[in-house]
Amino acid sequence: MLLNSLRQCARAMSTATQPYPFSKLAKIPPVLPSTSTMPREPLLKGKGLMQHLTETLATPQKRNWLHTYFARRHPLRIHPGSVLTVGLAHAPTIFSGVLLSVRRRGLDTSFVLRNVINRTGVEMQFYVCSPHLKSIKILQRAATKTSRSGPRIRRVKLYYLRDSPEKMTAISAGVRG
Amino acid sequence: MHRLWALAQRPRLPCRTLHSTTVKRAAPAAEASSSTAVAKWTPTSVRTGVIARKRGMLVMWDGHGARFPVTVLQLENCQVTANVKTVRKDKSEYHAVQVAASDRREKTTTNAMLGHFRNAGVPAKYIVKEFPITPDAHVPVGTTLSAIHFVPGQFVDVIAKSIGKGFAGTMKRWNYKGLRASHGVSAAHRSQGAIGAHQDPGRVWPGRKMAGRLGGERTTTQNLAVVRVDTELDLVFVRGCVPGIDDAHVMVRDAKKKMIQTAQHEYAKGNMEKILPKGFETLPFPAGTKEMAAQLPPVIEAPTLRRSPFIPQS
Repeated sequence: MLLNSLRQCARAMSTATQPYPFSKLAKIPPVLPSTSTMPREPLLKGKGLMQHLTETLATPQKRNWLHTYFARRHPLRIHPGSVLTVGLAHAPTIFSGVLLSVRRRGLDTSFVLRNVINRTGVEMQFYVCSPHLKSIKILQRAATKTSRSGPRIRRVKLYYLRDSPEKMTAISAGVRG
Repeated sequence: MHRLWALAQRPRLPCRTLHSTTVKRAAPAAEASSSTAVAKWTPTSVRTGVIARKRGMLVMWDGHGARFPVTVLQLENCQVTANVKTVRKDKSEYHAVQVAASDRREKTTTNAMLGHFRNAGVPAKYIVKEFPITPDAHVPVGTTLSAIHFVPGQFVDVIAKSIGKGFAGTMKRWNYKGLRASHGVSAAHRSQGAIGAHQDPGRVWPGRKMAGRLGGERTTTQNLAVVRVDTELDLVFVRGCVPGIDDAHVMVRDAKKKMIQTAQHEYAKGNMEKILPKGFETLPFPAGTKEMAAQLPPVIEAPTLRRSPFIPQS
C-alpha cells in the first residue's frame, strides 16, 4: 500500500515536472479562455477553420487592430494617405511615414509607410501581428467622404508618391509633430 | 537522462497476432497491449504516418520575432484499418500500417469497401493509404490517430497530388528560356525551338523534353519542420508549403532524410545526442492516439533554437 502511494506520488511529480514527455524544449502556451464562440463540430471538418485560427492566434491588441484600423469597413479604419508613427521593438524604434498601402491577408496583414529622411526616400513594411510592432499612433488621417480634414486621396495604393516629392511634402505639411 | 531505447539490444520478435496479409476480426487495443509489452521507439524503428487535409496557410512569428509561413494540416478522424505483413519469395518481410481518413456516407461507399471498413470496426472513409513500417511499429486496428503523433521540432515529409497545370508549354514545364521578345522573332517567343540535330542522328532522342500535361501528380515535399500541434482541433502546423489545393488529402510521415536516416546513422556511429532533434526524448510509439492526446497539453509549440537575426553578429 505504501509502495502504491509512492508510485502515485512519483507519477504525479513526473507529470508535473514533465507535462510533455517527448521534448524537453517544447513550449506549452498557457491555456487562455477561448475567445472564439465558434461551435466545435464544423471546425473539426475545416469549416471556418482559417478564420477561427486568425482570431485565436492573434493577441487581443493585434486582433483589435485588425478589426478596427485595418478592417475593410470600420469607422476607425486608417485610409491610405494618413500619416502614422509606429513603435518597434527593434531598430529603428520609431518610424513615421505616409501610409502607402494596406495588404489585407488576415494574420499576415501588413502596411507600407513612406518617409523622406535626410533627402532619402525610405519605405518600410510592417506586419500588424508581428511581436515587434508595439504601437501605432495616427498623426493625421486622410480625408474621407465624411471627414474633411487631411489630404484628399483618390487611390487605394499610393505608389505614385514615389515619383512626386512635392505631393509628399504637401501631405506632411499639415502634420504636427 | 538515460534514454530507454538505448537499452534495446535485440531485434523485436514479430507479433504473433498478425496473419499473412490483413488482420481479420479487428483485435481491439486491449488485446494487443496484453499480448505484447508497450512498444518503445528505437533509432531503427520506422513509425506510421497519418492522412491529413491541407486547410490553408498562415503565418507565425518565432521566439525572436522572425516571420515564417506555415501550412495548417488537419486530421479528420484518421484511423488504422489494417496491419499488413507480406512475406516475399526471398523470405524478406514487408510490414505496413493501413490508415484511412475522412468519414463518408455508407450510401456512397462500395460494398467491397464497406465490408473492409466493417472488419476494421471503423466508419466508411474517403481515402485509404498504407505506410511502410518496421515490424515493431504496428498499431492496433481501429485506433484513432491524433495530431499528438508528431512532436513540434521534428521534420516531416508531406505527400500530396500537386495542383494540375493542364497542358503546359516547355517554358513552364521544363524551364526553357524561349526566344527573344524582338529582333525579328516571328510568332515563336515561347516556343521550344529545335528538338534535335540533323541527319545524324536523324531522329528525336527519347526523353526529349516537350510540352505536355504538368501537375496533378503525386509530389513529396521533404523535411518540413513541425512548429505547432493542436490536439483540440487535430491540427499540425508545418513550416513552409505543401503540394495540393486546400482541403486536399495529404500523407504526412516522419522525414526519411532528417529523421529516419539521421537516427539510424547517428545510432550506428554512437552519437546518442544527435539521434533525434535537440531536446527530444523520444517519439510517440507506435503512434500518437486520441487516448494519448487526452493526457497531454492541448497545444504544444516548437522551441526557437536559432540565434536572433535582429541582433548583428559581432
